[in-house]
Amino acid sequence: MSTEHGGEPTADYTVDELMVARIAERFENGDQTCTGIASFIPVCAIRLAQLTHAPELVWIPGGSGVDPAAPELSASTFEWPLWRDSVMYLDLYTEFWDFVANGRFFRTFCLGAAQIDAYGNTNNSVIGAFDHPRVRLAGTAGLADMSTLDKRLLYYIADHGPRSLVERVDFRSGIGYLDGHGERARSGIGGGPELVVTNLAVFDFERGSQRMRLKSVHKGVTVDRVLAATGFEPVLPASIPVTEPPTVEQVALLRTVIDPVGYRKRGVRQVGAGTEV
Amino acid sequence: MTGKVMSAVEAAELIEDGDIVGVQGGPTQCAPMAIVREIIRAGRKNLHAVTLSGGIAVDWLAAAGCLSACTFAAVTMEHFGLCRAFRRRVEAGSLAVEELSETALFARLGAAARGLPFLPTRTMFGTDLLTTGNGALKVMDDPFGGPPVVACRALPLDAAILHAHRADRAGNVGIDAGPRYPTMTTMPRAARRVIVSVERIVPTAELRKAPDRTILPGFAVDAVVEAPYGAHPTSLFPVYDYDRTFMAAWVGAAADDDTARAFLDANVHAPPSHAGYLRLVGGSDRLAELEIGTAREH
Repeated sequence: MSTEHGGEPTADYTVDELMVARIAERFENGDQTCTGIASFIPVCAIRLAQLTHAPELVWIPGGSGVDPAAPELSASTFEWPLWRDSVMYLDLYTEFWDFVANGRFFRTFCLGAAQIDAYGNTNNSVIGAFDHPRVRLAGTAGLADMSTLDKRLLYYIADHGPRSLVERVDFRSGIGYLDGHGERARSGIGGGPELVVTNLAVFDFERGSQRMRLKSVHKGVTVDRVLAATGFEPVLPASIPVTEPPTVEQVALLRTVIDPVGYRKRGVRQVGAGTEV
Repeated sequence: MTGKVMSAVEAAELIEDGDIVGVQGGPTQCAPMAIVREIIRAGRKNLHAVTLSGGIAVDWLAAAGCLSACTFAAVTMEHFGLCRAFRRRVEAGSLAVEELSETALFARLGAAARGLPFLPTRTMFGTDLLTTGNGALKVMDDPFGGPPVVACRALPLDAAILHAHRADRAGNVGIDAGPRYPTMTTMPRAARRVIVSVERIVPTAELRKAPDRTILPGFAVDAVVEAPYGAHPTSLFPVYDYDRTFMAAWVGAAADDDTARAFLDANVHAPPSHAGYLRLVGGSDRLAELEIGTAREH
């Protein structure tokens, strides 16, 4: 088996590396993207894309530093080790969001969410009612902006379970396809979520209904296990393959260049035989 | 020009109970902590904090009972976790929240800065940020016939508080080469009073050597407070890093109201001055360890 980008597939990988590889391939050469707080999986995916098929993908960590030469991963994905040797600093208000508003730029974002629903709407705001929440989460940050523009959205869920993948989010901090069936486009908003990569499986969205569809399951994970861990019924195609593994080169880059410390593993529930979900 | 240099205690007196206060700073970055501590020590009540992505500054103000409202796009301690004191008060219903997208928050501040009733954004459609009954957000038709936009009502600040590298006695504020931290100049332009703490007060001649690094003119600044390491425990690039040990200690203490109060008693109320605070948190040896550029472990 040879992978899409021609590298040698490996059996020696962890689920965080698998998630990063599957997201990385969706970034396009010549595009621009950014990352925010606590974003190890997106940071690793963007760096991996840059070091493989997308050398001209411009990355703006923290929304402030353009194209850092030698970004160093530390415990924060917002702090100076990532952006200290940028080619330019952008002002968030007067520059960054203007470039994002321009349809030519920033076509793809990779984001996480506390909850994502069957149509790719996402919640980082509250569990429970907005005014009297059971849990007050961090807040929408840039999600309510990025997700409501004409952008491709790649989501990652580090702990796939019935509380993170839900039929309907408690609060829409960001939108996917709203109630599906073309509602997003009818609202005048292009783009939308394209991929949801979890620690158990990969989903895309069914054309037409725009409901989440199980695309592949990770090695060692059964479809039944994914369904038991999912709070809605995803669309099930006739054939559900095992998720394409990363390549030898991708894993080596992650382990030796991009993230030798292994920050990408933080919060990612490792899957393996007998792991409780 | 009138000198604007004052103590942190005097600067905090410029903030009154009930004020809307813009608080500069990210989860671990460049927050005006010396000023925040004096606001807490002064026992201010019913403040409405405005922050783009607030962290420990907002959590301390919440824990100390200074806040009755907060407008934000995010409030988080990033990899240290949620702002637990803030979270607890919101969940208990004692702290009202206005959550905005980033462009909406900037639109509200930008409108205030420009003397406009509102500025529009074209984001947030379909999100529940438009369904919470927020009276500051109204969907309106484009008068020129395009798609609707969200009008974001001006949010004038009573005060903006921020920390920077240096200022002269007239209030001209200069920064080292580095990022333009979000809201660092937006909030002051939207505020009636501007309070800046700085690492160093310098002669005006030093600012004139690099006027491109001056981010606020003195006429727009009301108070300058000299506070070396004034952002501690947050970072000030390229001078010092955030203090992860201290941050983690706060997040642990913030688990319940009693331990949070004890932490603030020890670190905010007990030290008689900013210098006393710096000695308490480890003194020059510890602060030297935080300097960016020295050998460090991440």
